[in-house]
Amino acid sequence: MLVYTLKRLGGILMTLVLLSLFTFTLSRVVPGGPWAQGAEIPLSEQQIQAFKEKYGLDLPVWRQYLIWLGNAATLDFGRPFTEPERTVTALIRDTLPFSALLGGIAATLAIAMGVTLGVIAAAYQESWIDSIVTSYAVVIATVPSFVMAFLMKYFLAARLRWFPSGAWGNPDDWRSVAWHLVLPVAAFALPATGGVARWTRQCIAEAMASDYVRTAYAKGLRSTGVLTRHVLRNALIPMITSFLPLYPGMMTGSLFIEAVFGLPGLGKYFVVSSTNRDYPLVLGITMFWALLIALTYFLTDVLYGVIDPRVRISERQR
Amino acid sequence: MSEKTLAQSEKTASITANPGAESSILAEAENAAQDTLVPLFAPEGYTEETHYSSFWVGAWRRYRRNRLAMFGLVYATFIILVAVFAPMLTPYEFDKINMVTVLESPSMTHPFGTDHLGRDILTRMIFGARPMLLVGILTGLAGLAIGVPIGVLAGYLGGVFDWIVTRLIDMFSALPWYLIVLYLVMVLSPSLENLILAMIITGWVGSCRMMRGLTFSIREQDYIEAARALGIPTWRVIAFHVLPQAAPLLLWGFAAGIPNSVFAEAGLSFLGMGVRPPRPSWGQMLADSGFYWQFWPHMFIFPSVMITLSVLAFQGIADGLRKALDVSENI
Repeated sequence: MLVYTLKRLGGILMTLVLLSLFTFTLSRVVPGGPWAQGAEIPLSEQQIQAFKEKYGLDLPVWRQYLIWLGNAATLDFGRPFTEPERTVTALIRDTLPFSALLGGIAATLAIAMGVTLGVIAAAYQESWIDSIVTSYAVVIATVPSFVMAFLMKYFLAARLRWFPSGAWGNPDDWRSVAWHLVLPVAAFALPATGGVARWTRQCIAEAMASDYVRTAYAKGLRSTGVLTRHVLRNALIPMITSFLPLYPGMMTGSLFIEAVFGLPGLGKYFVVSSTNRDYPLVLGITMFWALLIALTYFLTDVLYGVIDPRVRISERQR
Repeated sequence: MSEKTLAQSEKTASITANPGAESSILAEAENAAQDTLVPLFAPEGYTEETHYSSFWVGAWRRYRRNRLAMFGLVYATFIILVAVFAPMLTPYEFDKINMVTVLESPSMTHPFGTDHLGRDILTRMIFGARPMLLVGILTGLAGLAIGVPIGVLAGYLGGVFDWIVTRLIDMFSALPWYLIVLYLVMVLSPSLENLILAMIITGWVGSCRMMRGLTFSIREQDYIEAARALGIPTWRVIAFHVLPQAAPLLLWGFAAGIPNSVFAEAGLSFLGMGVRPPRPSWGQMLADSGFYWQFWPHMFIFPSVMITLSVLAFQGIADGLRKALDVSENI
């Protein structure tokens, strides 16, 4: 188990370093930059030179990268071009809670709803309930979250006036925040339920069709026992491995929702800094997200080894 | 002996006990033998008229039964025709600003209404189908052209090359693709061309991973070993023995990439990182309605519906192909 864990950790570290090398080199090698953007008052040569010196952009690319990597190892991503008074790390720390809350609630809701629907569909396979759930899953999964957000905003906020149409609300009052979060979370979670429901149904249906389940029934076990001890235990493995990454996935994917509802999360900063070509900020946010996602995959891998003994054994034999 | 077999043996016994029936069957068989040449070992139910259709014909029959997939096919044909003949379909120009007809609701002259600059929304919708299809098709084709050779070589050759390719695949999978695309578009400066380029840079990974996995499993099969034993050169084995096996999977992979591309084009244009104005795109039109949605809902309803319908249709095609071609999703 230790070897297995260390191997996974090594692979993830290598991937992260490679990704940082790729993104960093790209940002330095491709011509243009924040100072070359169609500025209203074009900068003079001396100004650009001073700017480059200040941020160390006149050094060779490989030295810039090594300096950046050394700092990034201690989670220091420098200061943004557009807001030099705050470090990138401080900015991430300030805005991440918004995205994390939105994405976390949405992911939990999506998993809860999707799994429920998937289990119902798998329990009543080939019936009208199954076909309704499957059609719902296919159709809802094709609605992009920002389209869903627009539709909800118009019908539920502007027309029916049930919910506020945007903004975070008063951060000191959790009731106000929750009230403002209803629409963003719903618009974000609903499309995600489709994929979750389909995957759950498939996993459970596959487990139910397997030989060991037939054997269990043939032995004369009760159907509740078979379902909980044989079907669910085996179906849970592929489900956990694909649902855990939903959390970082939805925290990063909230940028569309944040754009529609005007929420002050990390995703909005990512988009704004992308349009401004604020390299330190974009690089910092990108690598931070990669780290978050990589950690989740690592956790999933380890958990996979814990739940499924076959993984550990095959790894040992290799 | 169980009851079932007993009943069966009784049945056969009753047939043999009835000599008239047996002789008539024999006579029929003899007549048939005289008329046409019956093969020595004919499968049950064999007649001269039986045709065995190819894999692709069977796949088409299975595909036709899927209603959502057929809707997707009809919709795709329609939208491609609309995109190709766009200038002929509308009397308006997509980029002509007319301040007299600002924010008109749908009417006979403007079936989808007009936007905040007085441009006909239907016209812009028609032209907006172009970037959507362009991104979908170009990204898919280029992704296959890059990903398939690399994937096949990595899977077939293994070794150091495979190790490098695996690291690359891992690297691109470390982030959700829309973040990498957003990053690339930012670095390359936002435009439709750069969006397509960025989608290709991230898009080849999917087909590469698929081909690598498939080649791994095909490589171990007996007919590949036989081909190698016959001394057939490696490139010929790959081109004529490995690739045809992968054709259904690749067709599905191409189809499955299109809904993603539609989503990406709409989403990035929505964020202002895709198609540049004045060229229209559905996502961009949705973003344009940001100030007007509350009182002029026609500005966002039509793009919303079309984006969703397109993703649904192309997803339907992909799902239909997956079922008809019987490809496994987890390779």
